[in-house]
Amino acid sequence: MTSVKAIFIKQAKDMTKNFSVLIMFIIFPLVAFGMTELVARGGMAGMSEYISDTMFVTMMASIFVGMALIQCACGIIAEDRETKSLRCLVIAGVKPHSYLLGIGGVVFTASLLTAIVFGLIARFERSDFLAFMLIMASGTIASILLGATVGIFSKNQQAAAGLSMPLAMILGFGPMVAQFNYNVGRVFSIFYTQQINVLVNDFSAGITEPLIVIWANIAVFAVLFAIAYKKKGLRN
Amino acid sequence: MIKMTNVKKAFGTQTVLSDVTFEARAREIFGLLGPSGAGKTTIINILTNQLDADSGAHGIDVSAYETGMMLDEDGLYTRLSCMDNLCIFTDIYGIPRLKAKEALKKVGLADASNKAVSKLSKGMRQRLALARAILHNPKVLFLDEPTSGLDPNSAQSIRTLIETLRNQGSTIFLTTHNMEEAVKLCDYVVLLNRGKIVEQGAPEEICNRHNSYKTVPDLESVFIEVTGEQFCAYENETGIGRFKIAPSA
Repeated sequence: MTSVKAIFIKQAKDMTKNFSVLIMFIIFPLVAFGMTELVARGGMAGMSEYISDTMFVTMMASIFVGMALIQCACGIIAEDRETKSLRCLVIAGVKPHSYLLGIGGVVFTASLLTAIVFGLIARFERSDFLAFMLIMASGTIASILLGATVGIFSKNQQAAAGLSMPLAMILGFGPMVAQFNYNVGRVFSIFYTQQINVLVNDFSAGITEPLIVIWANIAVFAVLFAIAYKKKGLRN
Repeated sequence: MIKMTNVKKAFGTQTVLSDVTFEARAREIFGLLGPSGAGKTTIINILTNQLDADSGAHGIDVSAYETGMMLDEDGLYTRLSCMDNLCIFTDIYGIPRLKAKEALKKVGLADASNKAVSKLSKGMRQRLALARAILHNPKVLFLDEPTSGLDPNSAQSIRTLIETLRNQGSTIFLTTHNMEEAVKLCDYVVLLNRGKIVEQGAPEEICNRHNSYKTVPDLESVFIEVTGEQFCAYENETGIGRFKIAPSA
């Protein structure tokens, strides 16, 4: 537990000084706020009646979970690998789960704060707000694990960006494409981002089945991360 | 204290260690010498369980917690301050943060404790990495080329600290390609070339065996004699002096 706390504190301090990571947690709610306000004030003449009040919030929130968090977790871990900081931690006896909990804890906390901002912009009612937070929390865990796995496998930050960007784009934008193509929708239904997109757009739909898919994704990513850490965590 | 017996290691078809056997005793400065690519870092990686040997045996008589390491790359968090970098490890080891202050004082970085690592010189970074390695008073300390690329003053301050640590009871496992440094610091040295041990013993003993004395024991001459290689200077197209290893005449 002391290792988790140490890494959490380290990462929290480091993230406040790392603008390229910090910006990801600010830009998505900012864009959602801007677009929501634009529609509310009639800035998109003729379109307002077709766009729900929460449309841009849910869209940006699901893209944020699917894209930004993968790149964030991936970037942090790839940097730790490239600078050999991760090697120092492992030599000091830090276990894979402690490292992941420390790094993931900070990303998770920052993500939940961002989710609260999304929720406030959308003006969700209490029950919807709680459901939204539960979905965002589950999606965040899945994205952190996936990003961490890619980060561990990447030799450096450049390689990490090259790997995580297409993956994040597929997972982030895939659900949007799925709205217009039934077959794509069927394929994407096994991915957590698709389930998040469905859930945040309609809280009245059944929550159990999508949550099972999301947590199945989490289980698979956790196993992948453990394998990646054992195989690559110490190697140059 | 640190033992390696008949260790072999290859990366693909390239053999990097062949039948390496040595023993470092407690409370001595043990030097592993050789040119770049001789296999020094590979030996450290094997001893610290970062790499598996293909065959042979190796071991250290203390637990992983009782070892400290200063690696070839410092692994510092550049956006964080010196103090923050050390506090991560005091928290991991479960020791008081006061130890971080003490370690910074020992390496002469007390005044820079709140300075971001990105603003430190290479010498200061090396000293900070050393402070991190000695934070928990380890019984065995691995130092991978600790004075490499440092100015003479910084290198000397690190050497003095290494001697102090040995006098306080730590066993130091040092790799270097600086023969003069090895003569000054080490109680016992192993000369490594292309993954093979070519000579070992106390520096003065080795120099005696090879009749290699100038005003001080001349380990470098021994190295050239036993490996058939020498260091020489040359100038490249831009006129900047460089060093390379060339076959001896």
